Amino acid sequence: MIELRDITVRYGEKLVLDRFSLAIPLGGITALSGPSGCGKTTLLRVASGLTEPGSGAVSGIDSRKIAFLFQEDRLLPWRTVSQHITDVLPKSRRGEAARWLAFAELEGEGGAYPPALSGGMARRLALARCAALGGELLLLDEPFAGVDQERTVRLLDRLRGLGVPIVMATHQPQVLAACDAVIALDGPPLRRV
Amino acid sequence: MRKPFKILIPLAFWLLVWEAAALAVGRELLLPSPAAVGGRLLALAGTAGFWLSVGATLGRVFLGLFWGALAGTLLAFATHFFPWADRLISPAIRVVRATPVVSFILLVYLWVARSAIPWVIAGLMVLPVVWGSLRAGLDSLDEKLLEFARVYRFSRRKTLGLVYLPALRPHFEAGLLTAFGLAWKSGVAAEVLCPPAYAVGSRIQQAKLGLETPDLFAWTLAIVALSLILEGLLRKALERGDRG
Repeated sequence: MIELRDITVRYGEKLVLDRFSLAIPLGGITALSGPSGCGKTTLLRVASGLTEPGSGAVSGIDSRKIAFLFQEDRLLPWRTVSQHITDVLPKSRRGEAARWLAFAELEGEGGAYPPALSGGMARRLALARCAALGGELLLLDEPFAGVDQERTVRLLDRLRGLGVPIVMATHQPQVLAACDAVIALDGPPLRRV
Repeated sequence: MRKPFKILIPLAFWLLVWEAAALAVGRELLLPSPAAVGGRLLALAGTAGFWLSVGATLGRVFLGLFWGALAGTLLAFATHFFPWADRLISPAIRVVRATPVVSFILLVYLWVARSAIPWVIAGLMVLPVVWGSLRAGLDSLDEKLLEFARVYRFSRRKTLGLVYLPALRPHFEAGLLTAFGLAWKSGVAAEVLCPPAYAVGSRIQQAKLGLETPDLFAWTLAIVALSLILEGLLRKALERGDRG
């Protein structure tokens, strides 16, 4: 269980989290749902330790190894699709690149560079890279943005098959329907509904 | 229009203008004709001294380009990452950039051996250009990519190789191409003012003192041709590096 207690985050004048508390179960796939801009991304960033809150505390992560998928793809324009995978794999696991390309259904695109990919392909590559990095917890920010519905279902199944707890921010109804737990949110400032 | 004609037609036009001007002036001492200059250039190119001077000048220019680019690169990283280095070094580099090359030549003449002046000066002209180009690249580097590298547990070496260097490459190449022209011009200018034993600049100085105007033109023509050829080769090498 990730516990966030009395978290406050402010971006300039904008109060995104105001003494916000939440317990996120760690088992299967948990979705944080809510409209765009309500503060889901900030919540994930605080939970992962990427954003330092103004006040409050986070517990339950401890020394757990986290793989984080950013809201943006953050691909390197000068690296090929295959290299994006091998870049995050340790030398002993370099042979797994093909497996992760298949995970993202990008088998034929190994030599392509990001500018040549569609939005959906780039998102799948970013997701495969995050999954390939591995960890004891996956925190995913809008993992299926721009991905078609059929692929989204298949990718969700593959993510479940990894056997690690997943917490994802999403507002796609078909994704929410397939998650083990859904935490409905609204904001800003962020609140549970 | 086919490529050879694109080059040949403007060349022929300017040679005709030059010939007409030389005929109008009518004195070789003031303005020699293209044929006289071409003849002198061919004659000079047949001597060992010409190639020795060209080789020595090239060596000095490339030495200046190398140390200037290396120092500019190291200082760009230092001033980007360490605020104290930025406060201390950046104003000094801006002063170097604003100082006329002639002032530097005369100052450096007081401090270093005559044979070293051209490559010291060339490097001093290269350094601020490469520094400025790389600093602009470093300052505009995408913070989100750097955060990605941190979160995905990239080592410092990996972040340098996979994020910094590829992102900075266009900035470095643009700076190097601009700096090359400056290194060439400032290096030869230093050779003219502080002539070493073997140097294109020294030969220009001798031609000027001896009122050998066709020689002066021939050496200048040699410098221009060499500069254009070498800049073209450098550009091609950088393009090949980009594709590879």
